[in-house]
Amino acid sequence: MTASRTIRVLLADDHAIVLQGLKALVDGERDMTVVGATTDGAKVVELVDQFSPDVVLLDLELSGIRGTDVIAGLRQRATSPKVLVLTAYNDGESIRAVLDAGADGLALKTESPQQTIAAIRQVCAGQLVFPQAARRWLEERRGSGGGGDLTAREREVWALIADGLPNHAIAKRLGLTANTVKFHVQHLFSKLGVRNRTEAAIRYARR
Amino acid sequence: MLAAGERELQRIVLDMHDGPVQDIFAALSQLQLLERTLTGRPAARKQVRQIVKALERALSEIRSFIGAFRPPGFERRQLGPIIEGLMVQHEALTAQKIELSMCADVGDCALATKIAIYRILQEALANGFRHSGATHQRVAIARNGAPITLIVSDDGKGFDPAAVLAREADVGVEGGHFGLRGIQDRVEMLGGTFSIDSAPGRGSALTVTLPAE
Repeated sequence: MTASRTIRVLLADDHAIVLQGLKALVDGERDMTVVGATTDGAKVVELVDQFSPDVVLLDLELSGIRGTDVIAGLRQRATSPKVLVLTAYNDGESIRAVLDAGADGLALKTESPQQTIAAIRQVCAGQLVFPQAARRWLEERRGSGGGGDLTAREREVWALIADGLPNHAIAKRLGLTANTVKFHVQHLFSKLGVRNRTEAAIRYARR
Repeated sequence: MLAAGERELQRIVLDMHDGPVQDIFAALSQLQLLERTLTGRPAARKQVRQIVKALERALSEIRSFIGAFRPPGFERRQLGPIIEGLMVQHEALTAQKIELSMCADVGDCALATKIAIYRILQEALANGFRHSGATHQRVAIARNGAPITLIVSDDGKGFDPAAVLAREADVGVEGGHFGLRGIQDRVEMLGGTFSIDSAPGRGSALTVTLPAE
């Protein structure tokens, strides 16, 4: 028996016509199958729980919920599927937003759907699939993800944030004042390039 | 006026995104599937291949259009990240390398200046890509006090600036580009300075200085 197995794919896209086309195409591949599809971004996490896909192919411009929030929701789970973002926007800001959200890759709706299929295989195999031009941002993410330039105290605070502790509890645990913890948290967020505790915790889990 | 133009561009890009992109991408998905079922029917398969190629070309044009015209969140984002984004975008669209040197404290500036810097830089890079023959370009952004200086240079084949400006005055610039003259007009509108140092065989350097506020 070979090591290959079927890649389970969940599709989430605002446009029913795109879903229909992609579903047919993915199901037509020998090594992949569509386990679920939705036009409702708010249902993605629930469908992931239900179907345990290997890869979620996610349109960033979903109605009702931001694609980046969906990714954050997925990253909070104990086991998170790979997330391949499918978007028509290839401008610098969009590439950056997808990277910062913690996605595993980016596929473009302005390229052949065959490239999306190839990207599904790549992210499933553990590759990060982004334009070569975004390499400096990727390196930044790897660097900050590992917390290379954090102080020992910031690392301690980071670990406790990842455990879900609020500032006053972290202060008590480390024998510091709440204000000092707040100071460390601000520096930590700035160095990691995250906006809130959830993002910091996700980054901790992926470091 | 500049900001109103950018809002209009945003709307057009959104229309392209919500309409043709979704439909063409969906059609391509179905066609590629159809193509696979046509084994043993080479003529039909060839026809489908031709349709696929035509649609891929259309998508590719839309990709360039969206990349070039989508405003990068001028009102939400500071100058530095916007410029970094443009560098990545240019490299992704053209495979031409950019060496960026930007002072860490470039900060932010007035909306009109930010839009002008972005569009001027975009146009200068596009010109450098189309005409210079250089494998890479250099971009330097400096800020000494209030004015912001932007230098775009390359070691390519160079040109005669006076001749290009005169030609653009006569016949205009094609394909959505506003050319050197457009750069000059934008700079003058904001009370900045503009100079080009180039000659055939000598590479080129465009220097623009704009007041930040």
